[in-house]
Amino acid sequence: MDDITFRRTIYADPFTQDPEIIEAAKNDPKKQAFWEEVRAMETAIHSAMDIPVPDDLADKLILRQTMKTHQQNKRKSPWYIALAASLLLTSALTVGILTSSSGSLIGDVYAHIEHMDYESNKGAKVDLLSINNKLASYNGQLQDGMGEILSANYCYLNSIKSLHLIVKGENGLASLFVLPSQVAKDVDEQFANDKYTGKAFLLESAKIIIVGEDGQQVDDLAQRAKQLLNFSV
Amino acid sequence: MFGNKIDVSPVSTDMMTKQKRYEALVKALHADVFRYAVWLIKDRAIAEDVVQETFLRAWKSLDSLQDESAAKSWLITILRRENARRFERKQFDLVDIDDVSVSDPGASSDGHAENRQLRKAIASLSDEYREPIVMQVLMGFNGDEIAKQLNLNKNTVMTRLFRARSQIKEIMTGDQAVGVQKNG
Repeated sequence: MDDITFRRTIYADPFTQDPEIIEAAKNDPKKQAFWEEVRAMETAIHSAMDIPVPDDLADKLILRQTMKTHQQNKRKSPWYIALAASLLLTSALTVGILTSSSGSLIGDVYAHIEHMDYESNKGAKVDLLSINNKLASYNGQLQDGMGEILSANYCYLNSIKSLHLIVKGENGLASLFVLPSQVAKDVDEQFANDKYTGKAFLLESAKIIIVGEDGQQVDDLAQRAKQLLNFSV
Repeated sequence: MFGNKIDVSPVSTDMMTKQKRYEALVKALHADVFRYAVWLIKDRAIAEDVVQETFLRAWKSLDSLQDESAAKSWLITILRRENARRFERKQFDLVDIDDVSVSDPGASSDGHAENRQLRKAIASLSDEYREPIVMQVLMGFNGDEIAKQLNLNKNTVMTRLFRARSQIKEIMTGDQAVGVQKNG
């Protein structure tokens, strides 16, 4: 193999596996020396090309892709979907506002009276003094004659602090809730689900909610509450 | 010195989410792709931008990458296309880039004198010589792969590789001691 061909081949690919080149180098120390020199230069070239890479480049590439994908997902929704979503949100909020003070509050009432048996079985009946102490925070006062009150505890109905009285009647238990009237405005006057029936009314500065399984008993308790409970404004 | 040569292992694509595949691709190849971009563009800042665009485009068409072992040349193909798009977009920048940043890859202060000198020598090669040798040395492509990337026949590629090294040698020694004719 002539020198020029040998050198051209080595220069084009210093790590060539061409058998003719390997053979030629074996038989010619000058060619061998040339090849070694080129290989050394090649190592230096590789080292020179191995320039520093910004430390955070990989993180940036991943972050940028994540952001871009996120933006595209957002942008993919056509305008009418966005409008529909907006309307849906508005109506959900509106319904939520309209129902939050009644629907979910009454829902909380039902949830509380489900635990009524447990509360009422805890001990003896509650005396009038301790009930009036608790009613004081609503500026309220109860006169004697309400009947047997088994429990008087504060509880939260839709985040509103209320006083929950469990009253024993002829046909079982009924509940009376006392709430501040200004935060419990929109409770329906009459409400019911498949188990309980209830009514709500204003007594001066308080909102009274009465709930029980027996409609007649609820009416009776409501009557007595109107007579015996006073709330100063 | 020869670091960052980890190939993406042929992990079952079924098992990997697209996100995981992408992150593996970034981690394994971002350094070499970035280096390639710097040598191609000769400006670190622009190179980084083009690498960003390259990987974004890679993400979009990641499903078309069936064979992870082909990832390197796939990314270089995308990178070269993105770089060409840059010229289409900003023709006015061309002159500035060539004038200002010609020795940028060598401008880094790391490495010893020979390294810096070699970087200048490589950077001073014309594009048609610089790109094949960077593909060969940095990316580990063989003659056929380079020919495919550059849309040239293999003989032309081998000639350009030979001339690239001849010119580097000339610059480094200041003569033609290796006895290679310039027009060979």
